[in-house]
Amino acid sequence: MSTTAPITKANLANLVARLVAGGARVVAPVRKTDGLRYREVTDGAEIVLEPRGLPDMSLKAVVFPPTEPLTSYERKGRDVALTAPPLIFQPTVVLGSRPCDAAGLEILDRVMNWDLRDELWFGRRRATTIVSLACAGPADRSCFCTAVGLAPDATRGSDALLVPVNGGFVLEAVTDAGEALVKGNHDLFGVPAQADAEVRQQARQAVAANLSLDPPAVQAWLSAHFEDPLWDPIALRCHGCGACASVCPTCHCFDVVDEPEDLAHGTRRRNWDTCQAAKFTLHASGHNPRADQNVRFRQRVMHKFEIYPERFGQVLCTGCGRCSRTCPGGQDLPEILAAIQARVGGAA
Amino acid sequence: MTVFTPSFVAPAPAVPYPANVYQPHLVTIEAVRDEAPEVRTLRLKFNDPAVAEKFSFVTGQFGEYSVFGAGEVTFCIASSPTRKGYLECTFRAVGKVTRAMRDLQVGDVMGFRGPYGNRFPIDQWFGKSVLFIAGGIALPPVRSVIWNVLDLRDKFKDVTIVYGARTVADLVYKHELEEWAARKDVKLVTTVDPGGETPDWRGEIGFVPTVVEKLAPPSADTYAVLCGPPIMIKFTLPTLAKLGFPDERVFTTLENRMKCGIGKCGRCNVGPVYVCKDGPVFTAAQLKLLPAEY
Repeated sequence: MSTTAPITKANLANLVARLVAGGARVVAPVRKTDGLRYREVTDGAEIVLEPRGLPDMSLKAVVFPPTEPLTSYERKGRDVALTAPPLIFQPTVVLGSRPCDAAGLEILDRVMNWDLRDELWFGRRRATTIVSLACAGPADRSCFCTAVGLAPDATRGSDALLVPVNGGFVLEAVTDAGEALVKGNHDLFGVPAQADAEVRQQARQAVAANLSLDPPAVQAWLSAHFEDPLWDPIALRCHGCGACASVCPTCHCFDVVDEPEDLAHGTRRRNWDTCQAAKFTLHASGHNPRADQNVRFRQRVMHKFEIYPERFGQVLCTGCGRCSRTCPGGQDLPEILAAIQARVGGAA
Repeated sequence: MTVFTPSFVAPAPAVPYPANVYQPHLVTIEAVRDEAPEVRTLRLKFNDPAVAEKFSFVTGQFGEYSVFGAGEVTFCIASSPTRKGYLECTFRAVGKVTRAMRDLQVGDVMGFRGPYGNRFPIDQWFGKSVLFIAGGIALPPVRSVIWNVLDLRDKFKDVTIVYGARTVADLVYKHELEEWAARKDVKLVTTVDPGGETPDWRGEIGFVPTVVEKLAPPSADTYAVLCGPPIMIKFTLPTLAKLGFPDERVFTTLENRMKCGIGKCGRCNVGPVYVCKDGPVFTAAQLKLLPAEY
């Protein structure tokens, strides 16, 4: 039975101070002029724990930075010396992750562990303890986590879950790392308590009102409808900018490029990339297997709801709705999913 | 679409992958050979003697080659695993990395990650005939299989090679073509596109599918390895079907754009497969299950 313990807002700030003093990097939502953003914090007072506040970018950069070195090179005459980045990562505690963002990391563990293990990913995963904050309901009408098997209080990918109660939070440990966080700081927590189950149920129902899906049925439809009139007009709104992939908790495509610093030195890096870019699949010959924007957008939907589930048994989407909120063209993934669901005959 | 598991899984390589899977081995260019205009072969040797001694791969596998400062590029290993102690890659200088590779000289140091991907299951072809069909710059991946088969020649029946290029100058591995032509245990047919011939050209003149149809190689007990530009594949597959080759006995290797080579970066994903993990070797039967995004 997992530990559940109440913590006050003041003690949460004390917890931050203690973690920082212990050498940990603490990442939490903070308020910027245009919204919430996950940032490294050193002062608990900066943390904004809004039960309906969704940071504009997902949490993935904590484990998978937008750009990171794979190796550095130094030319010495005709010879080359390489320096690999050390696979040592600063212990990190995330306070107030959204449950959907924590789940996104856990979903991506599968592809990052496919035969060859990506230790840049797993090194940071091991070093990171994630305390999620249960949502009180949808941030807006774009939230649809319940349609893809998650919930506003889902614990998948989280080490512990903070549930708001009067005057503070109840912290529910989910994993050993979560237990250790409570046990190691027991003086900051009160006696074990339970959050109001009915409030949590209401939050789930409120999100579910946004979109109802039967993911296996959607997958089956996609599998049989690679060619379908649905895809023809779908890219009319799409500029191919890739903003959707940038904000997505599960989009993980990347590029590998060399960045010379001078004639002798440079760094090979991986940078976030997106299948929505025309050059993503462009061959050296000029042949492009996905030459048009509508087939590139189809690839995004297919990869999330057909290809990844078939390969790894998981939908590659957490229902955070960021792609819809961010798209400059108004592309709306829940709307597309609802259209597919309508074709398979209503939600389960 | 159904996921098909890699049909011809390669064994684990003798040199394990590094903990940081993106860390390349250093290799030194031992020899450079010009094959055709803008087409060059590099022979590479691992700098680390322990890696050089132990390195293993199987035919059909690929690697990520790199010029530090320019980046990485994906090619099938063009040499045969039966030839120990070195790797060869053959490329046309068309992009940033391949142009940087062309500018390197003997003694220069490059990077190599691999081997990755599946294999041509040639052990399943023992006792059978093999028909190789390649076009232009697609001979290098096939050449690895050809030499692998020829180095185990007594394990196979007839070996036939059909190779075409746009012009006589564009034919790669000219010395090896002469070597194969001189062998009594190999039937070699070379062809160039109409207009691509020279006055002294003694090979065929015509497109590869037409030449294959005219040659009409027997399909009984024969496996076909087909590699070339998409247009050549498109028109040669029906020819092979007409000659009686079942799709399960026609093999090709896909050349999708890749970055990581190990199933992470998402670039080579085509329908249910990742070319780098499930391929690059596929049968024509498998190709027919894929959406035309390769």
